[in-house]
Amino acid sequence: MLKKLMVVSAVLFLAGNACAQELSVDEIVAKANNSSYYQGKDGSAKASMVVTDSQGRTRQRQLTILKLNVQAGGDQKYYVYFHKPNDVKGMSYIVWKHVGKDDDRWLYLPAMDLVRRIAASDKRSSFAGTTFLYEDISGRSIDLDTHELTASDDAYYTLKNTPKDPASVEFSYYTMKIDKHNFVPMSAEYFDKSGKLYRTIEALEVQNIQGYPTVTRMKAADLNANSNTVTEFSQVRYDIGLQDEIFTERFLRTPPQQWLKE
Amino acid sequence: MKRVCILSFIMLFWAALSARAADLPEWNGFIEQDYGARLSRDTLTKHEDYNLLEQRLQLKTRYAVTGDNVFSDWNSVIRFKGDAVVDEYFQTTAYSEVRELNLAFRPSDLVDVKLGRQVLTWGTGDYLFINDLFPKDYVSFYTGRDDEYLKKPSDALRMSLYPEPANIDFVLIPYFTANTMPEGDRLSFFDSFQGGITGRASERSAIRPAMQAENAQYALRIYRNFDSAEGAVYFYRGFDPSPRSYLDEAAQQLFYERLDAYGTSLRGPFGSGIASIEMGYYHSVQDDAGDNRLIENSMLKWLLGYEQDLGNDLKLGLQYLCEQKLDYSAYSAALLPYDYVWDEYRHLLTQRITKLYKNQTVMLGLFNFWSPSDKDGYLRLSCAYDISDQWKLTVGANLPWGEDEITDFGMMQKNKNVFMRLRYGF
Repeated sequence: MLKKLMVVSAVLFLAGNACAQELSVDEIVAKANNSSYYQGKDGSAKASMVVTDSQGRTRQRQLTILKLNVQAGGDQKYYVYFHKPNDVKGMSYIVWKHVGKDDDRWLYLPAMDLVRRIAASDKRSSFAGTTFLYEDISGRSIDLDTHELTASDDAYYTLKNTPKDPASVEFSYYTMKIDKHNFVPMSAEYFDKSGKLYRTIEALEVQNIQGYPTVTRMKAADLNANSNTVTEFSQVRYDIGLQDEIFTERFLRTPPQQWLKE
Repeated sequence: MKRVCILSFIMLFWAALSARAADLPEWNGFIEQDYGARLSRDTLTKHEDYNLLEQRLQLKTRYAVTGDNVFSDWNSVIRFKGDAVVDEYFQTTAYSEVRELNLAFRPSDLVDVKLGRQVLTWGTGDYLFINDLFPKDYVSFYTGRDDEYLKKPSDALRMSLYPEPANIDFVLIPYFTANTMPEGDRLSFFDSFQGGITGRASERSAIRPAMQAENAQYALRIYRNFDSAEGAVYFYRGFDPSPRSYLDEAAQQLFYERLDAYGTSLRGPFGSGIASIEMGYYHSVQDDAGDNRLIENSMLKWLLGYEQDLGNDLKLGLQYLCEQKLDYSAYSAALLPYDYVWDEYRHLLTQRITKLYKNQTVMLGLFNFWSPSDKDGYLRLSCAYDISDQWKLTVGANLPWGEDEITDFGMMQKNKNVFMRLRYGF
């Protein structure tokens, strides 16, 4: 009897393991997307970005990011407040991220008390002059690519992602290595139209914050320009109770101090 | 006024320095060298070969009120921003200008208040303003100072209310601040009393509304979002911020006529860009019938705008502005034989092209005004390079032109310049 039980549980264990192995590509992609961009109901973090150009000169960006999930895996709202450098200090930025249509973006220039609506259909332009692109910060809609599982070992899934509309992007495809245990994408490599690797993103440090595996240090490199940006996230907090009204013109003009303290 | 500015500047500086080191608010700002060379000699103005030469220091700080008091409970923030300028064009000693000195607080969840000197902006236009009748500085605009200086601060009370159906901004400006317009010393312009483009020879003056309670200005904006689109209605009661009406022809006096403005705007995603529409009805209170040849006619203004991101950090913006004098037949019937005659309609088109290079550290910008009805225009070119996080170099050109001397851009045709600004931020 005992033996039988052991056999049954061994079979169940193996079957369970096998099930974990046999996640569909779409499930892996959805879980990776979720762990990258949708953890918690909301969250805040300070980002410190250092851009290094081909001659070793550096520039710094320091900002606070507030995020609210509107729909799980779908629309989100972002609030970005710039602390550094000096010429953008005090500017604030709101993005209503939409899946399936252009985002809505507003920028507030305090020197002129001006709220500008930003036409921004190109999500693959540089984020604040860094090596990161808008899409790296707010996420690329998973429906825009077809995904294949090209490798799977003990530690990582490797995915190849090919754009459905190749004319809309500068890459022909990108690969992603996803940590099997927590579904955090650990690296991405972008290949240009001639098949040459020209851009990489790496997670340099992952921490468990409030039970959410969180990339706290990451690097984007532009191999053509020989430049890179390292971003460190600090003071990362989830489920802080952000209200929807934070992401409106009112708080664009009067930044919500309680969330921006250094 | 100037003395008050300098005094408050010094007092704030002293207050900041005398605070305990731990409480010391952070100071930021920049120092900048500006130079603008004329493209052609203009002997009418003070200096015939340049129209901008100055060194500028800007300091700004903010202080969040702490402690056990009502202002702390109201999340009060005091902001200060002031410029000290050595204006070598006029070879005077330094002057200072307080651009912001205000107290902002939130007495309830539904109310924001900002009291004191502040810059105020609203509306959908890009360098064009219909319902934003807050003061502007067009001398800065034409000589090549930073865009920031196009907007002049107002001493005002701004109250913002956020009830459920729509947000309300109410602004009370107790005394009048005029637009800074060319006066001949630095920029030549069309002076109707001189009958042509005039510089320092101009003897005209503009009489401001008296500082009294009945001359206070009110501005109101009620706005809300409709999904991704933003709608607003506006009201303004005050004065035309530019002196467009004649008070006393013999004494060469202009004045700022009473103006009530009513308007509305809508802005939102359209096609693959952002479209906007704004309109305003200007009621010239002192010329209700429109038959006074000395006072501005009532007007209707329409503005259409469209902006699109073409990818690769290239953006395009287009605008069309139409201005109509509403009592044109009464106005034209009232004109005397020697009067300058304005058209009923003015049409103005603008184009903006912005392209960023080198990881957004180099910006090439073009902004063009062109009026087919006035047969004039104004091309603004700029190239800005962020040398580092601290240093920024901007070069550019201001190229107004026109077939006639009396139109808005045509009168500026002798003021073409190329400029450069070198800024160190800290």
